[in-house]
Amino acid sequence: MTIFLQNIISGLETGALYALAALGLVLIFRTSDVINFAQGDIAMFSTFFGYRVFEKYMSYPFAVILALLFAVGLGYILERLFLRKALKLGIINKIIITMGMLMVIQGLTVIFFGTEDYYLRKAIEMDNFNIAGVIIQPNALFIIFLTLGIVIIFNYLLKKTKFGIAIRTTAEDEETARLMGIPVGKVYSRSWMIATALGALAGILVAPKTQVSISMMLDIHLKSFIAAVVGGFSSFFGPVAGGFLIGVADNLVGYYWSLDWKTAIVYGILLITLIIKPAGIFGKVVRKKV
Amino acid sequence: MIKIQSKVIKTIILAIIGIIIVGIVPFKTSSITILSTVLIYGIAAMGYNVLLGYAGQISLGHAAFIGLGAYVSAYATDVMGIPFLGAVLLSGIVPIILGLILGGVALRLEGHYLAIATLGFGVTVQQLFKVLKNFTNGFAGRIAPSAYIFGIKIKGVGYLVMLIIITTFLAIAIENILNTKTGRAFVAMRDSEHAAKAMGIDIVKYKLIAFSISAFYAGIAGSLYMHLVKYTQPDVWGTVLSINILAMVVIGGLTSVGGSILGAAFIVLMPHLVAGIPYVNTIPSASIIVTGIVIVIIIRFMPMGLITFLNRFKRRVTNVRS
Repeated sequence: MTIFLQNIISGLETGALYALAALGLVLIFRTSDVINFAQGDIAMFSTFFGYRVFEKYMSYPFAVILALLFAVGLGYILERLFLRKALKLGIINKIIITMGMLMVIQGLTVIFFGTEDYYLRKAIEMDNFNIAGVIIQPNALFIIFLTLGIVIIFNYLLKKTKFGIAIRTTAEDEETARLMGIPVGKVYSRSWMIATALGALAGILVAPKTQVSISMMLDIHLKSFIAAVVGGFSSFFGPVAGGFLIGVADNLVGYYWSLDWKTAIVYGILLITLIIKPAGIFGKVVRKKV
Repeated sequence: MIKIQSKVIKTIILAIIGIIIVGIVPFKTSSITILSTVLIYGIAAMGYNVLLGYAGQISLGHAAFIGLGAYVSAYATDVMGIPFLGAVLLSGIVPIILGLILGGVALRLEGHYLAIATLGFGVTVQQLFKVLKNFTNGFAGRIAPSAYIFGIKIKGVGYLVMLIIITTFLAIAIENILNTKTGRAFVAMRDSEHAAKAMGIDIVKYKLIAFSISAFYAGIAGSLYMHLVKYTQPDVWGTVLSINILAMVVIGGLTSVGGSILGAAFIVLMPHLVAGIPYVNTIPSASIIVTGIVIVIIIRFMPMGLITFLNRFKRRVTNVRS
């Protein structure tokens, strides 16, 4: 039982990171119809920036805040530079644009930060708790609750503020949003800014485990796609649930079944889920008219 | 009918010109390898084009088929001792099974859901390459012997000439398929699934056929790659390759077989060309950055692909002349 709980908690921890990244992914997808393959690398780049700041000049919290601001700026620039003019293109063309973006970012990472790996500290460095045999890392708890907090605040803002309503309208139907006088361009750039910041946060939080390196976001990036699909693209709550689900499933399958086959089994579950519920667990099926 | 025949003849003439050039110009060994790679990816891209350009089904896990082709070919020649040509054919056929599975998934999904599901599929198969050690030898990798056809060792320029012949043959085969009922069914399905269904087109059948064709081509490409490079390990067959194949098809031009090869040439040659520019090549990662920027520019300003742009340019030149 304690081992089971242990697995659940570490699953929730990684799941929280998947959820953060997936939320950013879905936000961009819903507002501007872009499947952003560069999301992971933008986060990696911002994390490198945060690490450099932390290493050279500042305390951890300031470095994190600066990295997030950097990610926000990066999101704004990338959207304006690469995607704004490409709005009318098809979804596949946009995928390839984000791939070109990814190559540029990877190249810039090598130029600015080199190819070495670095260690970044945990957000909370305290001794572990021990509750009835279950060892709990304060850092893991922090990550889980931070994610939950962000998701709740995000959904609240989405429901109550003017800008949140603008995002939801744009996500629903861009043309109508335009007709209603919503500054769609602003919605695009702001959702990119939020999304890149969420990604960067996931990057900074995962860094103690993966090291700060070029390939640090590979796993989270792929899993966030899976989380978004499992949870469903049609809500902002689904991908978060999907993220936690994938994280826990990954850990349980890895422990009780087979570590080697973990990835294959989890993706197998994904494929079966999609075949049974094509729009994701929490998604709504939209019927197309001819 | 005249159009088809002229296209076939055009392709054959192009191939003969290619073979003559390869025979006359003394290319370096490295250039020959690069040109061979272009054709190999061109074959995979042609097959993918049938899927994406004609049948309108996206796949972000195509590296799985190419990888499977490579492993089947290596296993068949190295372990089972099947001759080269047999192995190539076999590694085209085995991925079809995988293609049918993915096609089965595609029956239920569309658009971005299909994109992500196929992405997951690609990752899963790559993971299987790592785990199935009996078949793939895990991270230690598998080696393949040189290609022999009727006892003659094919390598270097000979291999390139063989690739030109195979590519030509496969290109003509695709053109022919696309000009039959099957090809028209693909296009109808792409433009509107519901309308196609109403016209009596069996969606299930044609989706599976589209996935099978592209899996077959990808498998052949994998096999040819294997006997060119002679070594492989699981890391090669990841998402990056899948998206590269997608980029080749879109950059070259959807619904154009020639465009696929042009796109493959672009994606393979671009980094090498950038690395040849003085000053720029002193920056460690210049080639990847420039390639990325050029990809964005092409998609942005020529969303229909290079081949459409070329055709328009050609038309303008002929117009000026007359």
